[in-house]
Amino acid sequence: MPAIDTVWWRPYQTVGAVSIVHVDVGPFPEAEACAQEWLHSDERARWHSFESDGPRRRFALCRSALRAILCARFGIANNDLAFGESTFGKPFALVEGNPAGISFNVSHSGAHGLIAYAPAGRLGVDVEERDSRRKIDLLMDTVFTEAEEQAIFAHQGLSRIHVFYRLWTLKEAIIKALGRSLHLDAASVSLPLAVLRGKKQCILELSQSPGVAWQIRDLGNADFAAAIAYEEEIFDSPRRTAS
Amino acid sequence: MATTEQRIKQLVAENLEVDGKSLGSDFDLSASLADAGVSSMDIVAFAKVVASEFDVAITRENCPTLNCLQDLVDAIDGR
Repeated sequence: MPAIDTVWWRPYQTVGAVSIVHVDVGPFPEAEACAQEWLHSDERARWHSFESDGPRRRFALCRSALRAILCARFGIANNDLAFGESTFGKPFALVEGNPAGISFNVSHSGAHGLIAYAPAGRLGVDVEERDSRRKIDLLMDTVFTEAEEQAIFAHQGLSRIHVFYRLWTLKEAIIKALGRSLHLDAASVSLPLAVLRGKKQCILELSQSPGVAWQIRDLGNADFAAAIAYEEEIFDSPRRTAS
Repeated sequence: MATTEQRIKQLVAENLEVDGKSLGSDFDLSASLADAGVSSMDIVAFAKVVASEFDVAITRENCPTLNCLQDLVDAIDGR
């Protein structure tokens, strides 16, 4: 396993049992060269298949950071870690060929990557660099409910862009947690009213996943919009029933 | 008359870019948009552009995933 003298990731936040790591995926040739050495042959094949520098770099830096994090957590060598993929393309970790006891999700946009991981439960993370040139009208009725649209259009200018990206990342995190990224059902996920009014963290139940409590959390800062969604507990569990 | 595939390739060239660079009109429609580096936001917006251009509703039933543009071509040609 190659040594990494300069890491390109750092702890970002901890939310409940979920750890979130920020990955610097901006141009950094030394880190990218190091990252490539951590990739397995199938990952290097994928790395070669990218036609543009940016996606290639973001993949290498995030995947190698994920490898380093998971290897440290399980106390294993890089060669003992592999990844499988669900039907919908969501990756999962294999340690020595067996499914590992960890949930994780990765997102990147522009110069920022986020890796979220937890001991158990489904989780999704999304990060987006805000682009004030984006024509947000085009996405409204495809992605947002009427109440969400109203919450966005209640703001003007840059504030509207911030609210748009905030709600987008929360929805995308939920959809990714459900393992159904890029499907056409974003508008079927309704964000709670409290979140539309600016609350940063909330629990909700989804019609797509009845009986499960989902925690969602806005992770955005001045540089990017971001959010996580994670499965917190089953409603009919003894702890929940007692409360 | 241009085929659906040719029209979609033209829309790709006009609407999809990665890091400021157009994907171009020779983009392989069977390739993954996500692997090409297109963001999920751009993919959803592009589906909306295609739906408007061809006057079709792109639904989960006729196009289960937006990641592959050939799915869009098939959904449109299968109307």
